[in-house]
Amino acid sequence: MVGTEHVDMLPVGAKEIWSAKVNGEDVEVLTTSNATLLDVLRDKVGTLGVKRGCDLGTCGCCTVMVDGQPQLSCLTFAGQVSQCEIITVEGLADGAHLAPIQNCFAKYGGSQCGFCTPGFLISAQSLLNTNTSPTDEEVKTAIEGNLCRCTGYQQIVESIQAAAAIHRGEVEAEAPASSPHPDPHPSGPEEPQMPPGHAR
Amino acid sequence: MSGGYKQQPGGGGNITRKDGKRVAGKQSFPPPGSGGSRPQMAERDLQFIPETVGGREKQPAGAHVHDRIRTGTTVGKSMKLVDSNAKVTGQAWYGDDVRLPNECVAKILRSPHHYAKVISIDTSKVEALPGVLAVATGQDSTTSFGVLPVTKDEHAMAVDKVRHVGDLVACVAAVDEATALHALSLFEVEYEELEPVFDPKKGLEDADEPIHWRGKYHLAKTNVQKRVFQEFGDRSLIDKPSASNHNKWTMKGVHHGFTEPHAVVAHWDPNGRLQLYTPSQVPHYTHRALSTVLAVPMHQINVIRTFVGGGFGGKSDPFPHEMCAALLSRKCGRPVRITFDREEVYMINRGRHPSHIEVKMSADKEARITGFDIDALIDGGGFASFGHVTSYYNGVLATAPYELGSFHYTGARVWTNKPASGAMRGHGAVNTRCAVEVGLDQMAEDLSIDPIDLRLANLLPPHSRTISGFRITSNGMREALERVREGSDWDNKFRQLPLGKGIGIGCGFFISGSGLPIHWDPNKFPHATVHIQVDMDGGVTVHSGAADIGQGSTTAIAQVVAEVLALPIEMIHVRSHESDTSPVDLGSYSSRVTFMNANAAIRAAIEIRDKLLNAAWEMIGYHPDLLVLNDRRIYYKHDPSIGVSYLKALHKAQEDKGALISSGAYRSPPMGGIHKGAAAGLAPAYSFSAYVAETDVDIETGKIKCTNVWAAHDCGRALNPLAVKGQIIGSCHMGLGQVISEEMVYGRTGHLQNANLLEYKIPSVHEMPNVVPIIVESCDPEGPFGAKEAGEGPLLPILPAVVNSVYDAIGIRINDLPLTPDTVYFAIEKKMKAQSVDDPLELESPRLIHSAMQQVVVERAAQHKVRDVARQRSDDTSAYVNGVLFGFDPNIPLEDQVEGWRSATEPLPGQLAELGFAGKAWLKKEQRELEGDN
Repeated sequence: MVGTEHVDMLPVGAKEIWSAKVNGEDVEVLTTSNATLLDVLRDKVGTLGVKRGCDLGTCGCCTVMVDGQPQLSCLTFAGQVSQCEIITVEGLADGAHLAPIQNCFAKYGGSQCGFCTPGFLISAQSLLNTNTSPTDEEVKTAIEGNLCRCTGYQQIVESIQAAAAIHRGEVEAEAPASSPHPDPHPSGPEEPQMPPGHAR
Repeated sequence: MSGGYKQQPGGGGNITRKDGKRVAGKQSFPPPGSGGSRPQMAERDLQFIPETVGGREKQPAGAHVHDRIRTGTTVGKSMKLVDSNAKVTGQAWYGDDVRLPNECVAKILRSPHHYAKVISIDTSKVEALPGVLAVATGQDSTTSFGVLPVTKDEHAMAVDKVRHVGDLVACVAAVDEATALHALSLFEVEYEELEPVFDPKKGLEDADEPIHWRGKYHLAKTNVQKRVFQEFGDRSLIDKPSASNHNKWTMKGVHHGFTEPHAVVAHWDPNGRLQLYTPSQVPHYTHRALSTVLAVPMHQINVIRTFVGGGFGGKSDPFPHEMCAALLSRKCGRPVRITFDREEVYMINRGRHPSHIEVKMSADKEARITGFDIDALIDGGGFASFGHVTSYYNGVLATAPYELGSFHYTGARVWTNKPASGAMRGHGAVNTRCAVEVGLDQMAEDLSIDPIDLRLANLLPPHSRTISGFRITSNGMREALERVREGSDWDNKFRQLPLGKGIGIGCGFFISGSGLPIHWDPNKFPHATVHIQVDMDGGVTVHSGAADIGQGSTTAIAQVVAEVLALPIEMIHVRSHESDTSPVDLGSYSSRVTFMNANAAIRAAIEIRDKLLNAAWEMIGYHPDLLVLNDRRIYYKHDPSIGVSYLKALHKAQEDKGALISSGAYRSPPMGGIHKGAAAGLAPAYSFSAYVAETDVDIETGKIKCTNVWAAHDCGRALNPLAVKGQIIGSCHMGLGQVISEEMVYGRTGHLQNANLLEYKIPSVHEMPNVVPIIVESCDPEGPFGAKEAGEGPLLPILPAVVNSVYDAIGIRINDLPLTPDTVYFAIEKKMKAQSVDDPLELESPRLIHSAMQQVVVERAAQHKVRDVARQRSDDTSAYVNGVLFGFDPNIPLEDQVEGWRSATEPLPGQLAELGFAGKAWLKKEQRELEGDN
């Protein structure tokens, strides 16, 4: 907000009820007619996983899936997508079972600071929903609207390809992190059966 | 294993649904202490246990002091970041994700003028607006602050003057964003405009009204914030060079471009304590600054570091908006949130300094580098920030990895009426490094030798001292060069590719942790402290103040603790968000975190390990020296069946005491010379890197596309190879941006013209080359398990490598960054005119025919390789100081060398006339000297 020019009160749109299906749940919130989808998702619906990076459609952090297609929520009026099916990063996992794309981003270094990650995940998942055998070029095209400053994209492309392999059924998905038998139980091994031949 | 506890009665056994999924509430799981899901202890992973202690991990660089505590658990294994699941599920909470009950939103009024006195601010209309909760101006806190104690020149909001467009003037908190925005237009501010300065060269001249006033230390009436002069070595060596070059560079300002805009939430809790949530790299300095500005003791402030959406140096200053949020929250009694838009992010800047750099260098008849002359004039913008240090780094970080006959540096940082420059990844070293490495390429060309061989024949060995007195310990420079040469098939490509295709080399050298902390009171205060707590359940809670900004510092700390205690990493929980619970840590800057925090964590973990082993000693009767710690079990070295589980040993150790607690700290050893500025650039270890870049230049349009990069980085030891590779590739991306497209564009009127991510061009996935990360492990003797930094150093070589590859492709040297298509296009046109060629495709790309000198450098490099291996492995422990190559006794420190060797931090009167741009600052006198003249 640089400058001396007079900024009038932003024209406040009429109050209206906005409803849509967000991450599989019917949502109904009171908002204004000129609110962006990003504002509504963050401030009203509470899906804070949708990130605000630039508000100008340049960084891709706010990408959400609208009826299966990736869309920049900062450039979308909420009213344009009412009654639509919206998936945010919170809607990718099946309960405690992370989606393959989520596991792969973690495992292959696709996420460093993590701020751009929700947008990348949505762009990547949208691709994988229609194409489970993408070429590297197709992957790059799918994420060209997303900026990442940490990873240099290489490990992101690797992550997406690894997730594609899981979608194709070539590689098995990982067990959920919140499985009731996490391996690191403090007591460790059974006592009597000790494998012989250890180095000191 | 027993049937185990039931989560609820009625179930039992392994109940699964037909589809194989578990049934919630019907699972049996083992009671505490009865065994995990793994029925047997995992075998020690001998691949990850060093040779010297009986494992199979190769140690080409020799043994390390931490070998004895290796357990083969995590170190050297690629693992995901411990907080990655939070990030991929959208649950990681960044600055703007902090939502507190009853919060309100604040906005900042920013200056429309470049430079003006603030005469008056009328806030009455703002206060009268319904929905406005609090208003603050510069008069609410007139105490200055700044990240460096020597240059505290910032205020929460303008007290007397605004110093750049976007400087903070006032702020307002309101019930919602729309009201706050409206309120901004109701401020009535009267300014008296002053003459602004935009060109750093003008900043060297006297002004009517310098941007800041430093009293008796002010340099005449200029806008020079800091000037530096350093000269070492024998200046007579440069008199009759066999080859020399002189280049003037212009580098534009570059921004970090982190994806998360700054955001802060301040909340004075009902007890009158400030809770401040901010995505900061260095929460401790923010903590200190808040205490000063708000006049509240530090213990009444809790700084909570949220997840940080990228930092790269840009979130390391204490920021005025953090003070604003705190002031407003104190006034209105409600939590106040400030979130920047992207334009505001550029207004606060702290990016890489726009620089004018001049480099002269020369080599003698044996292709020894007889001198580097560097002059760096850097544009600091409106505030000091880290600039004091940047002024030094632009010179002193060029004193290695090469052995120099002499070194001469003049630097000056000037204030201009632009957003402040500051620290950015590769702090201060990047621009000069580019100029130096390109100069070396040129010199190799003049001598008709291979530039890699020129470098290999002039490297400082491991365990040596640079010309400016830095202590080099481990040094993987030679290996890095050899590996990129081999990986890229350099010998079959260099100067042999067709027009429009090129290959180039660049090297890098960077500090691994600043040897002197910014605040070093009291003097013996540790740089990093880590606390560990282990309670009955066996889980390990680690308290650290290290700020994870995505680089994975939390993971690194968890890894080293897991390694020492031989526990799965899932059992280590690092708590590093709150200053209330974390020990003081200086933060994530100068690539210090892995080196210092991991060292502190190792010390704390060793203390816990000792307690566990002593308990086991009591239980099974073998001395700790004969015990092995492995996967949740401690056993007798010669008979693994005699042992005790981790949990039992832990419970024994806890008898009558409760939770095991330990604290570990790290402080860098005393080092360095005694000359003025000797501390700048000191570090307990240094990283080295060498990159080869392959670039296609579209000869008709001037567009360049970097296609392949072989990137070798000496990180000492890769604690987590996945993360190190991520840092290398990410560094390539950021450095490449500076070479090909990124610049902060200031127009003729001094306004920043591209304060958004559309016009500030960060490379997208399509611009990225294929990067082959090559990890070189020189195993630093003082590093945690041998590790050094990997976060900043890898950025340095990409710039010169690409610039040199462009020369190889089209035979044109361009000394202006970035190499945008129009810059390259005009350079091609110019060359066509000079050569009277009509079609650019008729231009010739450079070719190399080795001179007799090639043999000389190859032979010397081969000799030095033998020397370096011996020194690296400690077979040769003799002293080595820069200068031995020129025939001087290695045992005599530089400053005591024979006549002609000089160490100076001020120019001689005779030198004044020939100094470069920045050197002109030495023509001026400080106020105190001027007073003396009267």
